[in-house]
Amino acid sequence: MSNVPPDWEVVIGLEVHVQLHTRAKVFASSPWGFGKEPNEQVDPVVLGLPGTLPVVNREAVEKSILFGLVVGAEIPERCAWDRKNYFYPDNPKNYQLTQKDFPVVVGGQVEIELPGASRNVMGEHKFIRIHHAHLEEDVGKLSHAGSGSLVDYNRAGVPLLEIVTEPDLRSSAEAEAFLRSLVAMLTQAGVADCDMEKGQLRCDCNVSVRRRGAEKLGTRTETKNLNSISSVRDTVIYETARQIRELEAGRSITQETRGWNAELARGYVLRDKEDAHDYRYFPDPDIPTLKISRETVTRLAKQVPENLYDRQRRYVEKLGLPYTAASVLVNDRALAEWFEAAVAAHPANPSGIANLVANDLLRDLAASAGAAGAFDEAAPAPVSLASCPIKPAQLAGLVKLTDDGVISKQQAKEVFAEMFKTGQDAAAIVDAKGLRQNSDTGELEKIVQEVIADPAVAKSIAEYRAGNEKAINALKGPIMKRTQGKANPVLIDQLLRKFLG
Amino acid sequence: MAEGFDIDHLAKLARLSLTAEEKALYSSQLNQILGHFQALANADLPATIDDARVVDEAALRSDEPGPVLGAEAVTRIAPASRDGQISVPRVVDDES
Repeated sequence: MSNVPPDWEVVIGLEVHVQLHTRAKVFASSPWGFGKEPNEQVDPVVLGLPGTLPVVNREAVEKSILFGLVVGAEIPERCAWDRKNYFYPDNPKNYQLTQKDFPVVVGGQVEIELPGASRNVMGEHKFIRIHHAHLEEDVGKLSHAGSGSLVDYNRAGVPLLEIVTEPDLRSSAEAEAFLRSLVAMLTQAGVADCDMEKGQLRCDCNVSVRRRGAEKLGTRTETKNLNSISSVRDTVIYETARQIRELEAGRSITQETRGWNAELARGYVLRDKEDAHDYRYFPDPDIPTLKISRETVTRLAKQVPENLYDRQRRYVEKLGLPYTAASVLVNDRALAEWFEAAVAAHPANPSGIANLVANDLLRDLAASAGAAGAFDEAAPAPVSLASCPIKPAQLAGLVKLTDDGVISKQQAKEVFAEMFKTGQDAAAIVDAKGLRQNSDTGELEKIVQEVIADPAVAKSIAEYRAGNEKAINALKGPIMKRTQGKANPVLIDQLLRKFLG
Repeated sequence: MAEGFDIDHLAKLARLSLTAEEKALYSSQLNQILGHFQALANADLPATIDDARVVDEAALRSDEPGPVLGAEAVTRIAPASRDGQISVPRVVDDES
């Protein structure tokens, strides 16, 4: 149930926490990674032991800047870190190092695509503004066991980029589309892996409702720590319905922090909310203000990949791909680049290549990999092209053989399967299997004439001559049969039309 | 100087339960500290003071993983531990 009554409008802002793709932590040299034994990835700086000083990881700063450049943000000349003070056992120092007043990224926008009326129709595009993004440290992980809680600090100090949107999102579908787009941008630029199963992307979701046409924003609630796109979508739907129900019953909305129980599909109020001023932010005395050179920004700008929707427009407009194939290819940068390498080897038929890549190649790669999408349950599993047995130029070769009429489209599927199995060139497989189509006009003419003379097809011929174009197909079967399927279908069609006048 | 804080609220944020005597003592001490900062805030300082603590990117660390303490050492300095994890009183952040 995602329908909002027509006289209500929902306003959504997201805070997306992304673990950056680095080897060491953000202020310490401790390594980090998923699936290690508890507290094995902790050093004295992470724990804030006496005598230690945090030093900022260059890679974490550069990945943050790169994100900013991907979304067209401003990279201020200076950024600085603050202490956010709070007492909670997930936090070994009793403060979290974050950026309050001088974040590394300011502004920017993310283009999103909403679902179309059907799978092969492109939906509406919108731009969602980014307010800012700041570089902070992740906190430890708590688990609750009986009367106590257990703390694992492996996650404490992992570089975390918090991306804060403007309240530009207007539906659960837009929130979903935004997260899909953001994940694609982050992964394609190598900023983050965004594997939600490993907790690499978590979301806080601000929701308010107002009467349509009202200027003033309604009172918002913040639901914290959502760890999948579906949880964000469900939270928006749930919170929207709850707030409208409250307001229509004459009650008011309390500004509060909420949690989400994905199993029960319902939200709940978190106890003991601390207000922003309770965090007693102040500039961290251990980390000096960082000046970011324009040379660094220029160098990183060269690493920004083509925006996925710019790529999609190019595929549709310049290469003539159908929307469906283009939208599949652009979601995965490696796949898109693989496709482009194939097109470079056979520029005459990008759609033919796209069709094989988006359907056959993806299907076979997925079957040989098998893993499911983690953050986004609806998205196809990421495939590894590194182990792909077919090289782009080989696929181009297969499409060229089809385009030249050497093999039929049906045979191309068979050759593709063999290529995927053996890694051989298409031409070698065609020769080994004796698949080359018969393009000998003289021999084929004789067969065509014999088939036309057969009284069994007289009715089809009469229908064709009476204007029923499709009737000609009934003649192709017997010809194919007599040539054991090796006749070139294009040539058969030409000859039939010639003889039937 | 008038009290710019609520001692009960501060105690709650710090997860401390204070006696009436402690509240009076800490309120007086906090007032002294705040008074000191007020004096600092009133000082006439050059606007460029921030430059003293600005560094360029040369001051950043490279992304090279270094040594870790190990769970044994980490848990040894904690008051209580279990199975390589630090044991604390139950904190509730789930549905209740």
